[in-house]
Amino acid sequence: MSDNNYLPAVQDAVVEALGLETEEVTPDSTLTGDLGAESIDLLDILFRIERATGAKIQASDLADHIQGGIPDAEFGTDDDMVSDLGLAHLQAVMPQIHIADLVGKLPADEVISLFTVRNLADMVTRFAPLGSG
Amino acid sequence: MPVSAGPRGAADQPSLAGRVALVTGASRGLGAAIALGLAARGAAVAVNYHASRARAEEVVRAIEDEGGKAVALPADVADPDACAELVAGTIANLGGLDVLVNNAGITKDSLIYQQEPADWLAVMRVNFGGVVNCTRAAMGTMLRQRSGSIVNISSVMGIRGWVGESPYAASKAAINAFTRCTAVEAARFGVRANAVLPGFAATDLVAGLTTKNGGRGILRQIPAKSFAGPEDVANVVAFLAGPGAAYMTGSLVTVDGGASAVLGVGAPLG
Repeated sequence: MSDNNYLPAVQDAVVEALGLETEEVTPDSTLTGDLGAESIDLLDILFRIERATGAKIQASDLADHIQGGIPDAEFGTDDDMVSDLGLAHLQAVMPQIHIADLVGKLPADEVISLFTVRNLADMVTRFAPLGSG
Repeated sequence: MPVSAGPRGAADQPSLAGRVALVTGASRGLGAAIALGLAARGAAVAVNYHASRARAEEVVRAIEDEGGKAVALPADVADPDACAELVAGTIANLGGLDVLVNNAGITKDSLIYQQEPADWLAVMRVNFGGVVNCTRAAMGTMLRQRSGSIVNISSVMGIRGWVGESPYAASKAAINAFTRCTAVEAARFGVRANAVLPGFAATDLVAGLTTKNGGRGILRQIPAKSFAGPEDVANVVAFLAGPGAAYMTGSLVTVDGGASAVLGVGAPLG
Protein backbone atom coordinates (compact mmCIF):
# COMPACT_ATOMS: atom_id res chain seq x y z
CA MET A 1 0.00 0.00 0.00
CA SER A 2 1.64 3.24 -1.14
CA ASP A 3 2.35 6.20 1.03
CA ASN A 4 2.70 9.65 -0.40
CA ASN A 5 3.74 13.19 0.42
CA TYR A 6 0.18 14.52 0.27
CA LEU A 7 -1.21 12.32 3.04
CA PRO A 8 -0.61 14.87 5.85
CA ALA A 9 -2.24 17.68 3.85
CA VAL A 10 -5.23 15.49 3.05
CA GLN A 11 -5.58 14.42 6.69
CA ASP A 12 -5.42 18.06 7.80
CA ALA A 13 -8.11 19.00 5.26
CA VAL A 14 -10.38 16.23 6.50
CA VAL A 15 -9.80 17.11 10.16
CA GLU A 16 -10.60 20.78 9.56
CA ALA A 17 -13.57 20.26 7.26
CA LEU A 18 -15.23 17.69 9.51
CA GLY A 19 -14.24 19.29 12.82
CA LEU A 20 -12.62 16.10 14.05
CA GLU A 21 -9.62 15.40 16.25
CA THR A 22 -6.41 14.58 14.40
CA GLU A 23 -6.23 11.09 15.84
CA GLU A 24 -9.71 10.31 14.57
CA VAL A 25 -8.61 10.63 10.96
CA THR A 26 -6.31 7.78 10.00
CA PRO A 27 -5.09 6.99 6.48
CA ASP A 28 -7.43 4.01 6.43
CA SER A 29 -10.55 5.86 7.61
CA THR A 30 -13.27 5.81 4.98
CA LEU A 31 -14.53 9.31 4.28
CA THR A 32 -18.27 8.80 4.04
CA GLY A 33 -18.37 5.57 6.06
CA ASP A 34 -16.12 5.90 9.11
CA LEU A 35 -16.01 9.70 9.17
CA GLY A 36 -19.55 10.43 8.03
CA ALA A 37 -18.64 12.97 5.37
CA GLU A 38 -21.58 14.33 3.36
CA SER A 39 -21.43 15.84 -0.12
CA ILE A 40 -20.87 19.37 1.19
CA ASP A 41 -18.10 18.07 3.45
CA LEU A 42 -16.38 16.53 0.43
CA LEU A 43 -16.61 19.88 -1.36
CA ASP A 44 -15.02 21.58 1.64
CA ILE A 45 -12.30 18.92 1.82
CA LEU A 46 -11.50 19.31 -1.89
CA PHE A 47 -11.25 23.12 -1.63
CA ARG A 48 -8.96 22.81 1.39
CA ILE A 49 -6.76 20.32 -0.46
CA GLU A 50 -6.65 22.67 -3.45
CA ARG A 51 -5.53 25.53 -1.25
CA ALA A 52 -2.86 23.44 0.49
CA THR A 53 -1.47 21.53 -2.49
CA GLY A 54 -2.62 23.24 -5.68
CA ALA A 55 -4.42 20.06 -6.75
CA LYS A 56 -7.69 21.21 -8.28
CA ILE A 57 -10.10 18.30 -7.93
CA GLN A 58 -13.80 18.69 -8.76
CA ALA A 59 -16.42 16.53 -7.06
CA SER A 60 -17.12 15.04 -10.48
CA ASP A 61 -13.42 14.09 -10.78
CA LEU A 62 -13.84 12.03 -7.64
CA ALA A 63 -16.67 10.02 -9.19
CA ASP A 64 -14.78 9.67 -12.48
CA HIS A 65 -11.66 8.52 -10.65
CA ILE A 66 -13.55 5.88 -8.74
CA GLN A 67 -15.48 4.61 -11.76
CA GLY A 68 -12.49 4.96 -14.08
CA GLY A 69 -14.50 6.09 -17.09
CA ILE A 70 -16.32 2.76 -17.26
CA PRO A 71 -19.87 3.37 -18.56
CA ASP A 72 -22.62 2.92 -15.95
CA ALA A 73 -24.05 -0.04 -17.87
CA GLU A 74 -20.72 -1.88 -17.66
CA PHE A 75 -19.74 -0.74 -14.16
CA GLY A 76 -22.96 -2.05 -12.64
CA THR A 77 -24.93 -5.22 -13.21
CA ASP A 78 -28.65 -5.36 -13.95
CA ASP A 79 -29.34 -5.57 -10.21
CA ASP A 80 -27.19 -2.45 -9.56
CA MET A 81 -24.23 -4.31 -8.05
CA VAL A 82 -20.69 -3.50 -9.16
CA SER A 83 -19.69 -5.80 -12.03
CA ASP A 84 -16.52 -7.86 -12.18
CA LEU A 85 -15.08 -5.26 -14.55
CA GLY A 86 -15.98 -2.52 -12.06
CA LEU A 87 -14.45 -4.43 -9.15
CA ALA A 88 -11.21 -4.95 -11.09
CA HIS A 89 -10.95 -1.20 -11.54
CA LEU A 90 -11.83 -0.50 -7.90
CA GLN A 91 -8.96 -2.73 -6.85
CA ALA A 92 -6.62 -0.37 -8.67
CA VAL A 93 -7.90 2.84 -7.07
CA MET A 94 -8.70 1.30 -3.67
CA PRO A 95 -5.97 -1.33 -3.16
CA GLN A 96 -7.17 -2.11 0.37
CA ILE A 97 -10.42 -3.77 -0.74
CA HIS A 98 -10.72 -7.52 -1.16
CA ILE A 99 -12.72 -7.96 -4.31
CA ALA A 100 -13.26 -11.67 -3.77
CA ASP A 101 -15.46 -10.75 -0.80
CA LEU A 102 -17.40 -8.20 -2.83
CA VAL A 103 -18.37 -10.08 -5.98
CA GLY A 104 -22.07 -9.55 -6.51
CA LYS A 105 -22.43 -7.86 -3.11
CA LEU A 106 -21.35 -4.24 -3.58
CA PRO A 107 -24.15 -1.86 -4.58
CA ALA A 108 -22.86 0.54 -7.23
CA ASP A 109 -24.13 3.57 -5.33
CA GLU A 110 -22.21 2.57 -2.18
CA VAL A 111 -18.76 2.41 -3.73
CA ILE A 112 -17.83 5.80 -2.32
CA SER A 113 -18.27 4.40 1.19
CA LEU A 114 -15.05 2.37 0.69
CA PHE A 115 -12.94 5.39 -0.32
CA THR A 116 -10.33 6.19 2.30
CA VAL A 117 -8.23 9.17 3.28
CA ARG A 118 -5.22 7.41 1.76
CA ASN A 119 -7.12 6.76 -1.49
CA LEU A 120 -7.83 10.48 -1.69
CA ALA A 121 -4.17 11.29 -1.07
CA ASP A 122 -3.23 8.92 -3.88
CA MET A 123 -5.69 10.75 -6.12
CA VAL A 124 -4.12 14.08 -5.20
CA THR A 125 -0.80 12.93 -6.63
CA ARG A 126 -2.49 12.68 -10.02
CA PHE A 127 -3.96 16.17 -9.85
CA ALA A 128 -1.17 18.08 -8.10
CA PRO A 129 0.86 20.55 -10.15
CA LEU A 130 4.18 19.15 -11.34
CA GLY A 131 7.00 19.75 -8.89
CA SER A 132 4.76 20.17 -5.85
CA GLY A 133 4.42 17.76 -2.96
CA MET B 1 -11.97 44.06 24.30
CA PRO B 2 -10.62 47.40 23.09
CA VAL B 3 -12.81 50.44 23.50
CA SER B 4 -13.98 51.61 20.11
CA ALA B 5 -15.27 54.92 18.94
CA GLY B 6 -19.00 55.39 18.92
CA PRO B 7 -21.14 54.77 15.88
CA ARG B 8 -20.27 56.81 12.85
CA GLY B 9 -22.03 57.37 9.57
CA ALA B 10 -21.38 54.46 7.22
CA ALA B 11 -20.22 56.83 4.51
CA ASP B 12 -17.44 58.09 6.81
CA GLN B 13 -15.85 54.66 6.90
CA PRO B 14 -14.26 53.07 3.87
CA SER B 15 -15.69 49.76 5.11
CA LEU B 16 -15.27 48.15 1.70
CA ALA B 17 -11.80 49.48 0.87
CA GLY B 18 -9.87 46.96 -1.17
CA ARG B 19 -12.98 44.92 -1.95
CA VAL B 20 -14.38 44.22 -5.38
CA ALA B 21 -18.15 44.25 -5.92
CA LEU B 22 -20.30 43.19 -8.84
CA VAL B 23 -23.77 44.73 -9.07
CA THR B 24 -26.15 43.36 -11.68
CA GLY B 25 -28.63 45.67 -13.36
CA ALA B 26 -26.65 48.67 -12.17
CA SER B 27 -27.16 51.10 -15.02
CA ARG B 28 -30.09 52.81 -13.34
CA GLY B 29 -32.51 52.93 -10.44
CA LEU B 30 -31.74 50.93 -7.38
CA GLY B 31 -28.78 49.14 -8.98
CA ALA B 32 -27.06 52.41 -9.82
CA ALA B 33 -27.61 53.69 -6.28
CA ILE B 34 -26.18 50.45 -4.88
CA ALA B 35 -23.12 50.67 -7.15
CA LEU B 36 -22.52 54.26 -6.08
CA GLY B 37 -23.05 53.39 -2.42
CA LEU B 38 -20.55 50.54 -2.51
CA ALA B 39 -18.02 52.70 -4.36
CA ALA B 40 -18.46 55.46 -1.77
CA ARG B 41 -17.38 52.94 0.85
CA GLY B 42 -14.22 52.08 -1.04
CA ALA B 43 -15.19 49.13 -3.22
CA ALA B 44 -14.15 48.81 -6.85
CA VAL B 45 -17.39 48.12 -8.69
CA ALA B 46 -18.35 46.18 -11.80
CA VAL B 47 -21.46 47.91 -13.14
CA ASN B 48 -23.44 45.31 -15.03
CA TYR B 49 -25.95 46.30 -17.68
CA HIS B 50 -28.01 44.46 -20.25
CA ALA B 51 -29.04 47.05 -22.83
CA SER B 52 -28.29 50.46 -21.30
CA ARG B 53 -24.58 50.78 -21.99
CA ALA B 54 -24.55 54.57 -22.01
CA ARG B 55 -26.25 54.78 -18.62
CA ALA B 56 -23.91 52.18 -17.15
CA GLU B 57 -20.96 54.22 -18.37
CA GLU B 58 -22.47 57.27 -16.67
CA VAL B 59 -22.49 55.35 -13.39
CA VAL B 60 -18.85 54.36 -13.97
CA ARG B 61 -17.92 57.99 -14.65
CA ALA B 62 -19.75 59.12 -11.52
CA ILE B 63 -17.72 56.65 -9.47
CA GLU B 64 -14.46 57.64 -11.14
CA ASP B 65 -15.22 61.34 -10.62
CA GLU B 66 -15.26 60.62 -6.89
CA GLY B 67 -11.89 58.89 -7.10
CA GLY B 68 -13.27 55.37 -7.25
CA LYS B 69 -12.68 52.48 -9.60
CA ALA B 70 -15.36 50.92 -11.76
CA VAL B 71 -15.99 49.14 -15.02
CA ALA B 72 -19.16 48.64 -17.07
CA LEU B 73 -19.75 45.03 -18.11
CA PRO B 74 -22.61 43.73 -20.28
CA ALA B 75 -24.52 40.53 -19.57
CA ASP B 76 -28.04 39.18 -19.75
CA VAL B 77 -28.34 37.58 -16.32
CA ALA B 78 -30.93 35.13 -17.65
CA ASP B 79 -28.08 33.48 -19.57
CA PRO B 80 -25.85 31.23 -17.41
CA ASP B 81 -22.89 31.47 -19.79
CA ALA B 82 -23.15 35.26 -19.86
CA CYS B 83 -23.07 35.29 -16.05
CA ALA B 84 -19.94 33.14 -16.02
CA GLU B 85 -18.33 35.63 -18.41
CA LEU B 86 -19.54 38.52 -16.26
CA VAL B 87 -17.88 37.11 -13.15
CA ALA B 88 -14.71 36.30 -15.10
CA GLY B 89 -14.73 39.83 -16.54
CA THR B 90 -15.09 41.34 -13.08
CA ILE B 91 -12.12 39.39 -11.79
CA ALA B 92 -10.04 40.16 -14.89
CA ASN B 93 -10.77 43.90 -14.73
CA LEU B 94 -10.83 44.52 -10.99
CA GLY B 95 -8.65 41.75 -9.58
CA GLY B 96 -11.13 39.67 -7.59
CA LEU B 97 -14.69 39.30 -6.36
CA ASP B 98 -15.74 39.90 -2.76
CA VAL B 99 -19.30 41.18 -3.03
CA LEU B 100 -22.07 40.12 -5.40
CA VAL B 101 -25.28 42.13 -5.46
CA ASN B 102 -27.96 40.37 -7.48
CA ASN B 103 -30.17 43.31 -8.33
CA ALA B 104 -31.25 42.92 -11.97
CA GLY B 105 -34.98 42.59 -12.24
CA ILE B 106 -37.97 43.15 -14.46
CA THR B 107 -41.71 43.10 -13.95
CA LYS B 108 -44.63 42.19 -16.19
CA ASP B 109 -47.72 42.98 -14.19
CA SER B 110 -50.94 41.25 -15.14
CA LEU B 111 -53.93 39.58 -13.55
CA ILE B 112 -53.42 35.85 -13.19
CA TYR B 113 -56.54 35.08 -15.20
CA GLN B 114 -55.31 37.15 -18.11
CA GLN B 115 -51.65 36.22 -17.92
CA GLU B 116 -49.62 34.83 -20.81
CA PRO B 117 -47.27 31.98 -19.85
CA ALA B 118 -44.42 33.87 -21.51
CA ASP B 119 -44.88 36.73 -19.05
CA TRP B 120 -44.24 34.89 -15.81
CA LEU B 121 -41.52 32.84 -17.46
CA ALA B 122 -39.67 35.97 -18.61
CA VAL B 123 -39.87 37.47 -15.11
CA MET B 124 -38.71 34.24 -13.52
CA ARG B 125 -35.79 33.86 -15.94
CA VAL B 126 -34.41 37.32 -15.21
CA ASN B 127 -35.32 37.83 -11.55
CA PHE B 128 -34.80 34.38 -10.12
CA GLY B 129 -32.67 32.90 -12.91
CA GLY B 130 -30.34 35.87 -12.70
CA VAL B 131 -29.77 35.29 -8.99
CA VAL B 132 -29.14 31.59 -9.53
CA ASN B 133 -26.86 32.10 -12.53
CA CYS B 134 -24.71 34.80 -10.97
CA THR B 135 -24.52 33.08 -7.61
CA ARG B 136 -23.37 29.85 -9.24
CA ALA B 137 -20.85 31.76 -11.32
CA ALA B 138 -19.44 33.57 -8.27
CA MET B 139 -19.51 30.69 -5.83
CA GLY B 140 -16.38 28.90 -7.03
CA THR B 141 -14.30 32.01 -6.41
CA MET B 142 -15.91 32.84 -3.08
CA LEU B 143 -15.84 29.32 -1.67
CA ARG B 144 -12.20 28.86 -2.68
CA GLN B 145 -11.12 32.15 -1.09
CA ARG B 146 -13.35 31.34 1.89
CA SER B 147 -14.87 34.79 2.02
CA GLY B 148 -17.52 36.76 0.23
CA SER B 149 -20.89 38.41 0.64
CA ILE B 150 -23.89 37.93 -1.61
CA VAL B 151 -26.78 40.36 -1.31
CA ASN B 152 -29.92 39.51 -3.24
CA ILE B 153 -32.41 42.25 -3.97
CA SER B 154 -35.78 40.75 -3.24
CA SER B 155 -38.97 42.63 -2.38
CA VAL B 156 -41.70 42.78 0.22
CA MET B 157 -43.81 41.40 -2.65
CA GLY B 158 -42.03 38.12 -1.93
CA ILE B 159 -43.70 37.91 1.48
CA ARG B 160 -47.01 39.67 0.76
CA GLY B 161 -49.54 39.72 -2.06
CA TRP B 162 -50.57 42.48 -4.47
CA VAL B 163 -53.05 42.48 -7.32
CA GLY B 164 -51.31 41.93 -10.65
CA GLU B 165 -47.89 41.22 -9.14
CA SER B 166 -47.94 37.42 -9.15
CA PRO B 167 -44.98 36.87 -11.54
CA TYR B 168 -42.82 39.42 -9.75
CA ALA B 169 -43.90 38.34 -6.27
CA ALA B 170 -43.32 34.67 -7.02
CA SER B 171 -39.87 35.41 -8.43
CA LYS B 172 -38.97 37.32 -5.27
CA ALA B 173 -40.31 34.56 -3.00
CA ALA B 174 -38.07 32.16 -4.93
CA ILE B 175 -35.15 34.51 -4.29
CA ASN B 176 -35.93 34.47 -0.58
CA ALA B 177 -35.85 30.67 -0.46
CA PHE B 178 -32.71 30.55 -2.58
CA THR B 179 -31.03 33.08 -0.30
CA ARG B 180 -31.64 30.92 2.75
CA CYS B 181 -30.29 27.81 1.03
CA THR B 182 -27.26 29.70 -0.30
CA ALA B 183 -26.55 30.93 3.21
CA VAL B 184 -26.79 27.44 4.67
CA GLU B 185 -24.52 25.88 2.05
CA ALA B 186 -21.94 28.68 2.01
CA ALA B 187 -21.66 29.56 5.71
CA ARG B 188 -18.97 27.00 6.53
CA PHE B 189 -16.85 28.52 3.77
CA GLY B 190 -17.04 32.02 5.27
CA VAL B 191 -19.39 33.20 2.55
CA ARG B 192 -22.58 35.04 3.55
CA ALA B 193 -25.86 35.46 1.69
CA ASN B 194 -28.64 37.82 2.67
CA ALA B 195 -31.59 39.44 0.95
CA VAL B 196 -32.91 42.97 1.08
CA LEU B 197 -36.64 43.35 0.68
CA PRO B 198 -37.45 46.90 -0.38
CA GLY B 199 -40.98 48.18 -0.15
CA PHE B 200 -41.99 50.89 -2.53
CA ALA B 201 -38.97 52.80 -3.77
CA ALA B 202 -39.17 55.65 -6.20
CA THR B 203 -37.62 53.90 -9.20
CA ASP B 204 -38.63 53.34 -12.83
CA LEU B 205 -39.59 49.74 -12.08
CA VAL B 206 -42.63 50.65 -10.01
CA ALA B 207 -43.27 54.15 -11.33
CA GLY B 208 -46.72 53.08 -12.49
CA LEU B 209 -47.68 52.31 -8.90
CA THR B 210 -45.90 55.07 -7.04
CA THR B 211 -46.99 57.91 -9.34
CA LYS B 212 -50.63 56.93 -9.82
CA ASN B 213 -52.74 59.60 -8.12
CA GLY B 214 -49.52 61.03 -6.78
CA GLY B 215 -48.85 57.72 -5.04
CA ARG B 216 -51.39 58.64 -2.36
CA GLY B 217 -53.14 55.27 -2.44
CA ILE B 218 -49.97 53.46 -1.55
CA LEU B 219 -48.65 56.09 0.83
CA ARG B 220 -51.73 55.64 3.01
CA GLN B 221 -50.63 52.04 3.59
CA ILE B 222 -47.02 52.84 4.53
CA PRO B 223 -46.56 53.78 8.20
CA ALA B 224 -43.55 55.95 7.33
CA LYS B 225 -45.77 57.92 4.89
CA SER B 226 -43.01 58.14 2.31
CA PHE B 227 -41.45 56.08 -0.41
CA ALA B 228 -37.93 54.79 0.00
CA GLY B 229 -35.21 56.64 -1.80
CA PRO B 230 -32.82 54.35 -3.69
CA GLU B 231 -30.08 55.35 -1.23
CA ASP B 232 -32.21 54.06 1.70
CA VAL B 233 -31.99 50.60 0.18
CA ALA B 234 -28.38 51.06 -0.97
CA ASN B 235 -27.28 51.85 2.60
CA VAL B 236 -28.64 48.54 3.86
CA VAL B 237 -27.05 46.66 0.97
CA ALA B 238 -23.69 48.26 1.76
CA PHE B 239 -24.04 47.28 5.41
CA LEU B 240 -24.83 43.66 4.53
CA ALA B 241 -21.92 43.59 2.08
CA GLY B 242 -19.44 44.81 4.65
CA PRO B 243 -17.70 43.63 7.81
CA GLY B 244 -20.35 45.12 10.10
CA ALA B 245 -22.66 42.29 9.06
CA ALA B 246 -20.05 39.56 9.54
CA TYR B 247 -22.41 37.33 11.54
CA MET B 248 -25.48 37.93 9.37
CA THR B 249 -26.33 35.26 6.85
CA GLY B 250 -29.63 33.89 5.65
CA SER B 251 -31.39 37.07 6.75
CA LEU B 252 -34.24 38.66 4.83
CA VAL B 253 -34.16 42.35 5.70
CA THR B 254 -37.17 44.51 4.92
CA VAL B 255 -36.56 48.16 4.01
CA ASP B 256 -40.11 49.30 3.58
CA GLY B 257 -41.03 52.07 5.99
CA GLY B 258 -42.99 49.54 8.03
CA ALA B 259 -45.26 48.48 5.16
CA SER B 260 -44.91 44.75 5.75
CA ALA B 261 -45.25 45.13 9.53
CA VAL B 262 -48.61 46.82 9.46
CA LEU B 263 -52.03 45.23 9.76
CA GLY B 264 -53.69 48.59 9.31
CA VAL B 265 -52.98 52.23 10.09
CA GLY B 266 -55.64 53.49 12.49
CA ALA B 267 -56.52 54.90 15.90
CA PRO B 268 -56.07 53.16 19.29
CA LEU B 269 -58.68 50.40 19.59
CA GLY B 270 -59.43 51.11 23.26
